[in-house]
Amino acid sequence: MFRSMRAHKIAVAGLVVLAVTGVSACGSSGPQKSGGGSAKELQLWTLQNPGVNGVQQKAVDRFNKSSGAKLKLSTYVNDPYKVKLQTAVGSANAPDIFYNWGGGNLKGYVDAGQVADLTKALDAAPDVKAKFIPSVLDVGTVDGKVYGIPMQGVQPVSFFYNKVVFKKAGISEFPTTWSDFLTVVDKLKAAGVQPIALAGSQGWCELMYLEYFLDRIGGPEKFQAIVKNEKGAWTDPAVVESMGMVQDLVDRGAFGTNYAAVNYDNKGSQALLTSGKAAMELMGSWEVTSLNDAFPKFLTAGSLGWANFPAIKGGAGDPLDIVGNPSNFYSVSSRSSDVAAATKFLLQEMVSDEYVAGMISVGQVPAILGLEKKVKIGAFADFNAFVYQMGLTAPSFAQSWDQALPAALSQTMLTNIQQVFNKQMTPQEFADSMAAAAGS
Amino acid sequence: MSGAATGTPEIPAAGQLPARRRKAIGPWWKRMNFVGGFGAAVWLVIVGAPLYFLFVPSLRVSADYLAKGPLSPPNNLTFGNYATIMRSEFPRYFVNTAIVTLACVAIVLALALPAAYAIVRSRKKSVATAFSVILLGLAVPAQAVILPLYLLITKAGLYDTLLAIILPTAAFALPLSIIVLTSSLRDLPAEMYEAMNLDGAGAVRALFSLVIPLSRSAMATVGIFTAMQAWNGFLFPLVLTQSSSVRVLTLGLWDFQGQFGQNVPLLLAAMVLALLPLLVVYLVGRRYLLAGLTAGSGK
Amino acid sequence: MSSRTQSSVQAGRPGFVWAAPAIVFFAVFALLPMFVVVYLSFTSYSAISDPVWIGVKNWRHLATDPLVGNSLRLSAGLTVLSWLVQTAIALPLGVYLAGKGRTRSVLAAVLFLPLLMSGAAIALLWSTLFDPNFGLASVVGPLIGVADGNFIGKPTLAFYCVLLVIAWQFIPFHTLLYQGATRAIPTSLYEAAMIDGAERFKQFTLITVPQLRDTIITSGVLMIVGSLTYFEIILILTGGGPGTATRILPLHMYITGFRGFDMGYASVLAVLLLAVGTSLSLLITKVTGYRKMSSQKEGL
Repeated sequence: MFRSMRAHKIAVAGLVVLAVTGVSACGSSGPQKSGGGSAKELQLWTLQNPGVNGVQQKAVDRFNKSSGAKLKLSTYVNDPYKVKLQTAVGSANAPDIFYNWGGGNLKGYVDAGQVADLTKALDAAPDVKAKFIPSVLDVGTVDGKVYGIPMQGVQPVSFFYNKVVFKKAGISEFPTTWSDFLTVVDKLKAAGVQPIALAGSQGWCELMYLEYFLDRIGGPEKFQAIVKNEKGAWTDPAVVESMGMVQDLVDRGAFGTNYAAVNYDNKGSQALLTSGKAAMELMGSWEVTSLNDAFPKFLTAGSLGWANFPAIKGGAGDPLDIVGNPSNFYSVSSRSSDVAAATKFLLQEMVSDEYVAGMISVGQVPAILGLEKKVKIGAFADFNAFVYQMGLTAPSFAQSWDQALPAALSQTMLTNIQQVFNKQMTPQEFADSMAAAAGS
Repeated sequence: MSGAATGTPEIPAAGQLPARRRKAIGPWWKRMNFVGGFGAAVWLVIVGAPLYFLFVPSLRVSADYLAKGPLSPPNNLTFGNYATIMRSEFPRYFVNTAIVTLACVAIVLALALPAAYAIVRSRKKSVATAFSVILLGLAVPAQAVILPLYLLITKAGLYDTLLAIILPTAAFALPLSIIVLTSSLRDLPAEMYEAMNLDGAGAVRALFSLVIPLSRSAMATVGIFTAMQAWNGFLFPLVLTQSSSVRVLTLGLWDFQGQFGQNVPLLLAAMVLALLPLLVVYLVGRRYLLAGLTAGSGK
Repeated sequence: MSSRTQSSVQAGRPGFVWAAPAIVFFAVFALLPMFVVVYLSFTSYSAISDPVWIGVKNWRHLATDPLVGNSLRLSAGLTVLSWLVQTAIALPLGVYLAGKGRTRSVLAAVLFLPLLMSGAAIALLWSTLFDPNFGLASVVGPLIGVADGNFIGKPTLAFYCVLLVIAWQFIPFHTLLYQGATRAIPTSLYEAAMIDGAERFKQFTLITVPQLRDTIITSGVLMIVGSLTYFEIILILTGGGPGTATRILPLHMYITGFRGFDMGYASVLAVLLLAVGTSLSLLITKVTGYRKMSSQKEGL
């Protein structure tokens, strides 16, 4: 160690110099993350999803082989991914292609000038452009320009129910109107079953109810107004009425009493559904593959049913409207060292037959036109067909609000929604609080 | 002065007396510490129950566990989950974490010991200020400085390397280490230093022949606590690294949660494996830990 | 002492250079970034583009943010209660475990395990236990008056659950501090008390506890400052909920900065945290004279 005072002092000086150099190296952008070799290595960041990742890797391999590029796939888990992406985009470590949720989420990056405009490239490949479901491609479009290419399945939200429980309670089919729905809720309660399984510890699960209520009651324009942050959008009577309907369900005991402690990520709500303790769950289409992984016996026994969200009489919304994730998107970073190659990958592979077939085989329903027959295969044939129909015929496909709205507002919204569900906040207070937070 | 030379104080633990005296006190039911024992037993249940739900379900098969619920009695125990984990990326994460931990411990010991020595022995005001700065440093929230750190690390060209994790982690482990070492060195009587001085030894020799041997236990304590912080660190690896080649265990666990989330027993097995090395370190270093949290020579 | 002895003793003392490397290292990686954070608190920054200077706007927002008062209150409550609960358990436990005996050794090892787990692992483990329908909560709940097993779904109960889990993780650490300190108490003190006929409880209150004064302070400072910056478990266990019932200040800062990506305002909260933490720690150490480098063993 420090054999003498002098050596000691030199060591200290050295450390200080190192620190100062490190800090004051402004202007240098740091070394590029390049793998060895002549072709530039391009980074593709995406969410971790075992089945889907395999299909994506194959697409990457095909592309690398055919074009000599060096595209590399890296996967991340959801929450950490969002933090990583936010800090990396706009820095020297930005990925070349990154997974995002389109809509407001993508807009944030576009507004910061970090995303490459793909409109020209897409227009130059009309056969590619024509393949996407228009309403989905719209979600990857910001201010009229295309910034994101759909890369995953459509994921609308619908009701899932336990057929066995329904039968036992004497309910023959899933209700199509709201008044019938409430009758069913009462019947289930009488049969000693918790009508709805709700993962109330996670705001986004509760959000789905609000999304559908507002659409059914006020039509899709109400949420569009909120997205555009128009004055009075949050305090619209339709918003207050929607929250009122939520609290009505709570008061009826439709969600049981302990929903605030139930968690979706550890399968708490799914366990309720599959064990028969609860009869229904409102959830995105990923519910099926997820149930299949965790509770396979439930599916093989044919106990799972699915249905549209009921219509609300006198409401302005079309009963065929859906909410959820229109898709997920790949965008190209404007800082990428090879925007052309990255764009080529997307236009080539995202609509290729192999990619689409691969997606279908792992239970995804791609946002591509003309797949009616192709999706009706595999273990979830009927469900896939159901989802695809929904995606094609829905007059409006509203994006999940927590992806469509700016991040900070989203957080406030999720917290407030939880409080409404826990009867700590009245519907009017919710509307006022959101209006204040949105500054409208 | 009996324990001084060996560094392990040979003070009999408080409460234990030579046998002769013990007999003089009273019947056994007065001697046994019922209240203490009962309290410890209660705490043991509170600690033990969750641990049971960590270790035992990790040996179960996932389908069983989910279908029947975590509270059902475990039959069908298997090590299959552990095998699956060892075949995944887990070993690489393990090695990375080990490297980070060892490096952090080395840096912290090398920097904290001289600092603690100076704080205890120096009369200079600059050193007293240094100690205040350290106390202040305890309150710096790591997640607050993560963004500036990210900028700093990137500009220094260290992004996505193990050093990016090692350096900040070691820095944040310094305050606690210095406090523990200071508190332990303080109990070495001044006379010992003075004796060395009379022999003509300077500060450096005092460090090597006196301070280090006598504070071995405190150093072990600091080493173990730093190791724990480094082993279980999450925020720095998350933001400052990216590739799976430098991924550490805590991030790997999140990966597993995403990959095998529905397979709770597998996840639990990963958690058990992640905690084993620390357990070994603790068991090995335990004697030092106990003997020297306020080490000093016995009297 | 003669002047010659005095100066030779002086010459043997380590100077500032000894502490310098540690200080510099710490300053670069912890203090310097903190200055940058202060700067960021005057900007609007979302990490994807450069910070934009907006003056005191963020600070004014601090005055109108309804969640800050709530967070401060929760943090204060958690800090005080944590200190009480953890000290009340760790101190007697540490003293008990300091006794010799193999059972106590084994017991100490088992009780130490929670500290070896990462915060994320502990939170994951406890969240399965708290599931109101299938976890331990569903069994224990009805026994103690919570019929539907709903612990972390009720605002007040959730707070106590968080208190419990954090205590579960950190009590082993403080127990260790007390254990080591107790071991070092010279038996001469107890022998004297025995002769005077003092029994166990009196020994505990009149000898053990006073001798542990420095450890109580160290442990207390660490607990208090720690609970002002620690949030990993709460993030995963309740996410600050239900609603905002467990959203302590560091968590509020994290959510604002890393979920809402409003780094400017999050920096304000960080500075607030730092100010509170340092004032508290300096106050405690000053009031208790901790910084005077005197040993409690003097006079023995």
